[in-house]
Amino acid sequence: MNMFTYTEIILGVMVLVYILAKIFKISTELSMLAAALAGSLAGGFGIPPRQIAEGSITYLDINLIFITATLFMNILKESGGIAFVVRGILKKFHKNRALLLILLTFLLLVPGALTGAGSVTVLITGGMVAVVLNYMGISKSKTAAIIFIIAGLSAAAPPVSLWAMMTAAGVNMPYVGFFMPLLIPCVVAALITIFLLGWKGEDTNIEKALQELPLPPDKMNWFKVILPFFVFLFFIFMGRQWPHSTPIIGLPLMFLFAALTSFLLSPVKLNFIKISRDTIEQLLPLIGTLTAVGILIQIMTLTGVRGLLAVTAVTLPVTLVFAGLFLMMPVSEAILMYGAAPVIGVPLVLLFNTIGLNPIVALAGLSVIWPLGDALPPTAIIGRLTVQVVGYEDSYTKFLKTCIVPAVLIMIIGTVMVIFSKHLGFLTGL
Amino acid sequence: MDFLTTIVTILYYLFIAYIVFILVLNLIKSKTWEKEILYIIVLIPFLLRLFRLK
Amino acid sequence: MNISAIRKIIFSAIGLILFIPAGISFYQSRHLKEPVVLSPGVSTVKRLSDYFPAIKGSTDDCHIYFFEGKEKGATLMILGGTHPEEPAGRLAPWLFAENAVMEKGRLIVVLSANRSASTVTRIGGGYPPDFTIPTAWGGQKFRMGDRWSNPLDQWPDPEVYIHYPSNQNLAYVDIRNLNRTWPGRPNGTLTEKTTYAFMELIRKENVDIFIDLHEAELQYPVISTIVTHEKGQELATMVSMMLTDMEGFNIGTEFSPKNLHGLSHREVGDYSNAISLLFEAPEPFLDATRGKTTREQLLTGKDAFVMKAGEHGLLFEKIDENGWPIDVRVGRHTSTILQTMESWTEDHPKKPLVCRNIPRYAEVIEKGIGTYLHDPKKANSKRVVFE
Repeated sequence: MNMFTYTEIILGVMVLVYILAKIFKISTELSMLAAALAGSLAGGFGIPPRQIAEGSITYLDINLIFITATLFMNILKESGGIAFVVRGILKKFHKNRALLLILLTFLLLVPGALTGAGSVTVLITGGMVAVVLNYMGISKSKTAAIIFIIAGLSAAAPPVSLWAMMTAAGVNMPYVGFFMPLLIPCVVAALITIFLLGWKGEDTNIEKALQELPLPPDKMNWFKVILPFFVFLFFIFMGRQWPHSTPIIGLPLMFLFAALTSFLLSPVKLNFIKISRDTIEQLLPLIGTLTAVGILIQIMTLTGVRGLLAVTAVTLPVTLVFAGLFLMMPVSEAILMYGAAPVIGVPLVLLFNTIGLNPIVALAGLSVIWPLGDALPPTAIIGRLTVQVVGYEDSYTKFLKTCIVPAVLIMIIGTVMVIFSKHLGFLTGL
Repeated sequence: MDFLTTIVTILYYLFIAYIVFILVLNLIKSKTWEKEILYIIVLIPFLLRLFRLK
Repeated sequence: MNISAIRKIIFSAIGLILFIPAGISFYQSRHLKEPVVLSPGVSTVKRLSDYFPAIKGSTDDCHIYFFEGKEKGATLMILGGTHPEEPAGRLAPWLFAENAVMEKGRLIVVLSANRSASTVTRIGGGYPPDFTIPTAWGGQKFRMGDRWSNPLDQWPDPEVYIHYPSNQNLAYVDIRNLNRTWPGRPNGTLTEKTTYAFMELIRKENVDIFIDLHEAELQYPVISTIVTHEKGQELATMVSMMLTDMEGFNIGTEFSPKNLHGLSHREVGDYSNAISLLFEAPEPFLDATRGKTTREQLLTGKDAFVMKAGEHGLLFEKIDENGWPIDVRVGRHTSTILQTMESWTEDHPKKPLVCRNIPRYAEVIEKGIGTYLHDPKKANSKRVVFE
């Protein structure tokens, strides 16, 4: 049998098993795992323990970043730090709608930017920002759309952008030079989104908003909120300023030190083990996805299916690729979540490289579009989470329709970044 | 310097052990079969590193 | 016991059934011993830690093979195993270690420059744990390795890797890439200490020519070439011309970029008196467009998908249904090394380099590399070393 027929059959089996698993309402993580195992069997590799185990460890370091960063955010939330900040901003700026919207955007961008996960934004600051937005006279569907879109952008925003990191790793490209190409579109698109959907509304009802927001403990203050961030930034600074006279700390341990600082400064007594357990429980779908994606990619590479997708992608007409990005990115995200980066992102970046585009800016462009798929079935994890956290009870389709205008804008921004990546190369600073 | 580097690495292994502990606790308390499978799959990479196999 | 508990036990048992054989396989490939039957030309075998004691006892404390010529001459060093996922980069120096005899000058050979990276396979790569080169006496098994040092030897990675001493920012994972950590750092990570130790060796042994052996994916522009430090421009050009004329395979030359740091062709030349060269042979196994990942593909280099990418003009080296067999890739390296010695000797008759008993390109292809690997069971045990 020639290689094309062989891998096409395996791919067919994998797709079929994935669809079947989804029909039986099995979670995306386990559906991917089932597809991987089916692919391995169809390829004649049986159930190879070494390959499965090796695939499962692919994203260990990224999972550690996830866990430690979310632990930090959860401790800050449990200690009342987040509520303190939201109330503080609301009290000070409720009369200036524009400034308030800008600050809320910032609050939504930070958790996801630091952790690389939109779900962390939704869980940490999403709920509280939603309360404020509601009292600014913004409908629940618009509130949900704002939180979802900005949470997605926060995940794509630097320093941690998993799509960019995973794709870059897949093509042996350093994750360097991405800061500005990711930051600028994410901040611009986030601001456009919040002003587009949130500018019209009533005057902020501060009394009611403050009543509904959780009360921080009396002893909470700005110092206690900011110091843990300072600790984190200090380690980043130390590593960059004195890289050769200080030990390598690594992002997970930096987040862990920040979490411990927040824990020690908390005015209320916190149960570390309980928060850790809640964090792991909350992250299970994400770390489960990354582990399953690792196994899936390993099997796809082993059987040659990854090569089939790669060679197909790089031999497609370029105009077709450009025209299809707005569809290909969100759909691949909806099906594979972060797995879209190594499966679709890697061959695309190889193609961009070959046709002389700037791979960093182009990949940043792709990374901005990808998170939009998180609202689409079959997974729709972040979309569903947002709706739940915001307390939006109307139809899911209506929520999706509210997202359309900012989503189209983001698709345009991302596609333009890809097509004109060469001209935007200066953003990388390399 | 070597001493500090060793300490950092040990801290990483200790944290991995802590996550294994939490994952096992959560596995014991989990109620659905899907979560149980997922916890076991997620445990594999942490155990591989903890036992210095991969 | 309730149903949930029974279910958990069953799932855990399945997990263990996966975990245990995988763990054993990882352990075995990390500890697989590869025999080297020393050539009669090997005069001494040292350890890298003899040049920098801080790495003594570490995974990277590799063997250094010395060949003293009957007549004095220049010193040439061959570094194999910088990236152990590039097998021709280890097998070509292996043929030297088991066969070479120096008539004039001195040869230093390394087979596992990044020994740590040879004990782990690339995550997500679907690599086989090992591969076997067929020989008349059965076959010799080699560890399949990775591009990066094993995280079990060096963990965690930094948030960004800042190269020493240039301060250039590189991808965090490349702090475990031996060909991004030159010229090394005595108080750095294991990989940085390893390159520092090699620099000490190069300086103390007065190496004149340093050769780093690699393989590259066909979609990578630096392929089938000699990358040279400016000190070696004339030599590399001469070698390239001679090989293309006399041996019928194409090999180009490229100059080491001055602002690209951490690579051997740049830093070894800058931080020692040696001329630094890096040879690249084609390895379709590394291409992202490759089909099924198997030992066979690794050793034959045959791949229909990579060929299709070639038909669309996406490759920097040609490929057809004959693929890129390992014998061809190793033969390119042995001939390029031998030609380097010859071209150098023509220019430096007072510091010659003459080596015999090493097959050239055509001969390696005709007889196969297995012909030049010797049975460790039949050899004098004092002349067998394990990598």
